[in-house]
Amino acid sequence: MSDHVQKPIIFEEDHLPPATIGGSTLTFLILAGLACMATLIGFTDLGPAKVWVSLAVACVQGIVLTVFFMDLRHGDKLTWLTAVAALFWTFLLFLFTITDYLTRQFFAF
Amino acid sequence: MTPATHAPAITPSTQVLELDYTPQTAPPVTDLDGPPAVNYLNHAHGWLSWLLTVDHKRIGILYLIPLTVFFLCGGIAAGLVRLNLLTPTGAILELDQYNKAFTAHGTIMLFLFLIPVIPGILGNFFVPIMVGAKDMAFPKLNLLSWYVWFGGAMFFIAALLIGGLDTGWTFYPPYSSKYSHTNVLFAGLGVFITGFSSILTGLNIIATVHKMRAPGMTWGRLPLFVWAMYATSVIQILATPVLAMAVSLLATERIFGIGIFDPTIGGDPLLFQHLFWYYSHPAVYIMILPGMGVINEVITCFSRKNIFGYKAVAWSSVGIAVVGFLVWGHHMFLSGQGIYLGMVFSVLTMLVAVPSAVKVFNWVATLYKGQITYEAPMLFVIGFIVLFTIGGLTGLFLGILGSDIHLHDTYFVIAHFHFTMVGGMMFAWQAGLHFYWPKMTGKMYSDFWSRLAAVVMLVGFSLTFLPQFVSGYHGLPRRYPYYPAEFQLWQILSTAGATIQGIGYVMPVFYLTASLFFGRDAGANPWRATGLEWQIGSPPTPHNFDELPIVTHGPYEYALPSRYALETEPHHTTNGTNGHAVAGNGVTSGH
Amino acid sequence: MWLFLVTEVLFFGGVLCAYTAYRIWYPKEFEAGSTALNPLIATINTFLLLSSSFTITLAIRSAYKGEHAGLRLWLVATIVLGTVFLCFKAREYYGDYEEGLVPSQQKTLVDTVDESGKPILKEVSVFAVNLKHVLEEKEGKAKAISDKMTWNERERVQIFFMFYYSMTGLHVLHMIVGLGLLVWQLILAQMGFFRPTERYIYIEVMSLYWHFVDLVWIFLFPLLYMAGIHSVEHLHF
Repeated sequence: MSDHVQKPIIFEEDHLPPATIGGSTLTFLILAGLACMATLIGFTDLGPAKVWVSLAVACVQGIVLTVFFMDLRHGDKLTWLTAVAALFWTFLLFLFTITDYLTRQFFAF
Repeated sequence: MTPATHAPAITPSTQVLELDYTPQTAPPVTDLDGPPAVNYLNHAHGWLSWLLTVDHKRIGILYLIPLTVFFLCGGIAAGLVRLNLLTPTGAILELDQYNKAFTAHGTIMLFLFLIPVIPGILGNFFVPIMVGAKDMAFPKLNLLSWYVWFGGAMFFIAALLIGGLDTGWTFYPPYSSKYSHTNVLFAGLGVFITGFSSILTGLNIIATVHKMRAPGMTWGRLPLFVWAMYATSVIQILATPVLAMAVSLLATERIFGIGIFDPTIGGDPLLFQHLFWYYSHPAVYIMILPGMGVINEVITCFSRKNIFGYKAVAWSSVGIAVVGFLVWGHHMFLSGQGIYLGMVFSVLTMLVAVPSAVKVFNWVATLYKGQITYEAPMLFVIGFIVLFTIGGLTGLFLGILGSDIHLHDTYFVIAHFHFTMVGGMMFAWQAGLHFYWPKMTGKMYSDFWSRLAAVVMLVGFSLTFLPQFVSGYHGLPRRYPYYPAEFQLWQILSTAGATIQGIGYVMPVFYLTASLFFGRDAGANPWRATGLEWQIGSPPTPHNFDELPIVTHGPYEYALPSRYALETEPHHTTNGTNGHAVAGNGVTSGH
Repeated sequence: MWLFLVTEVLFFGGVLCAYTAYRIWYPKEFEAGSTALNPLIATINTFLLLSSSFTITLAIRSAYKGEHAGLRLWLVATIVLGTVFLCFKAREYYGDYEEGLVPSQQKTLVDTVDESGKPILKEVSVFAVNLKHVLEEKEGKAKAISDKMTWNERERVQIFFMFYYSMTGLHVLHMIVGLGLLVWQLILAQMGFFRPTERYIYIEVMSLYWHFVDLVWIFLFPLLYMAGIHSVEHLHF
């Protein structure tokens, strides 16, 4: 056996200290504010627009959560790639399946 | 640690002396290297040392044994189906027994054999060695995923033993929800659990390829098998969860008797098919990609040439992994999905033929002007290329919306996917098994019997499935136990072929087992291949590499024999009769 | 861990895709189903989960700084918040069960009229009857929704409820796993496993999972609970 011990470096060396308390609190407050908004939307009658508005709020919340709490902003390229891949493949799943439901009633001839 | 790019300086004068372009063809008659005194097989003893091992090589062997058993089980089920089809009214089975037999064949072969076979055995065994690592990135997770897989497989087998399963391998509701009286739940759980194992293995392989590469092992120097395994793992990670969800929803429906695929409350059974094929179409690439990876390793070795178009082959693996997700609707052309969506899927299906064809053309180009020898692995590879090409081309008939209306759910489809799955994957697996057997066990099997087995399999396979193209084209539908009498000739031919094929598949079990006891020592590098895995002893030592390997050039440098022979001077002879210092092995030792 | 989360995204992606497909088909039924749910508990739970995401970030920081007391405090806080979430969730399921909002094959007979306006006896599921009661009790717009629905449409609300149970059920399962991981981290912390700037990566990786569970809820909340019409007067536990 040689002197070289091949150590698996699974987790990237993370030299960045974790988020400050102030930063975390701010993130939390933003998220809580957005949650209040989602609730408000839930209790009002916006008709068909409601689902879009509430989903938009949820997306903003999701982005804040992943970028700040899950620390994606300090992630390396690979982490970003992974996150984008997840979204992209979910998009593919939706794209074709929902296309089916939207076009099924059209007949070609 | 030496920087990755360090390579020994070669002055022009030494080059003139050392370059020897005589391709080295015949394997060495004698090999002075015995197996390493301490290797992964003998460094620990007893059942527990196997069942609690975290050594990726031992885990590979742990997969090998049950997988062989499952393959034989699935083969027996296929045999029952074929025997029953000897006469137009069913020769031996009752109707529901026939349903259970073909379901058992399909499910065992797909979920318990084709999907795990190469990732589980060769992937586990060789990916860490090929990237120059001592083990997987997460050795314990690797063992866990074997246990998870084995547990899931046991669920599956239990479901098949207590009452069987009659839904077909696709579990379409309402066959699987309202109208099945068999153990769909158990089987679904089995699929769910083995799927989880598949995800864990995929994670492990991706992490290994990213993080565990030896110094100098750049992405451009990875063996193409590793590229293929990487692409496979990506598919496993992205596709399997959707199947898990589909099966969970199906299970909910089955348990509560009411669910979202139930048309009586407004549900749509087609939705299950969407979710199912989102996994199961990419899953056929989970099955075939590792096989294609093996082909690269074998074909370069036995034609003594570098692969033609390394980058094209590597990226076509990735391309298949991506495009494979865009075509699932071609399984549903006639199921009632939107006709325009069907057109889109039809066009996209043509697209996936491109990367597959890139691979086939590159393999053929690799053969061109190579010094080809026909050892058993090479025979399997040639079988693969021929059969896979037929399978791929007939796939186009089915991918075209118009012709699929005629061919849908006929024996033509059966023949098509058996040509890709058996003619492709099964042959690739045999090629890989025969290629790597000396490395895995340190023993050489019978040359004569292995070549004979390859020929028998090829003949048997062709005889089984070529007639099915004809009967399918004439409209014989699949999955029925009865058929019109005019098709009997084709069915008898198929059954005869299946019998020959069966003999072919049993042969390796005997001669490979025999080689363990009577085979001669294979030596470190019986095929005189250039990959990293051939530069270590056979069977490998527990930690693969005694010294950290430093990789200085690509995996298939067959055209540059002896280029780095200076590094291993004591063993080097110019005509290459000594087994382990030949053919630009691409490895030097770190300091 | 990110790779594992990809599989989780696609796992929930599968059921969300199914949800979307049916919501396109049956918008009215989904609205009615959502209206019958309990928005108060859901709202409280949203804030609980967000807070637990916050506390776990603080736990990472404490682990990094080597503040043992802080680490334990924040881990315990996260566990408590998660557990309270589950308790509320259990209460909610119990409420749904009491109201009879569980899809089943049980049938009953109701008086209704056919297309020509002739009174007939119709066999409908018990679920549909219960749903009618629940919506009528909520009065106002909820009742208006219910009055406009035919019995067949009420039957189809069962699909919404299948989604409701499977999505929240899977979410609860994930939470239970997450709580198990948290307890394990707490035990490790108790044993002095974490030292300043070392090994805090364990908590960080586990926090990714916990945040993901939160993320799922962020989407379930508008899709399941807030898709209907709720009014403040009828909030109850």
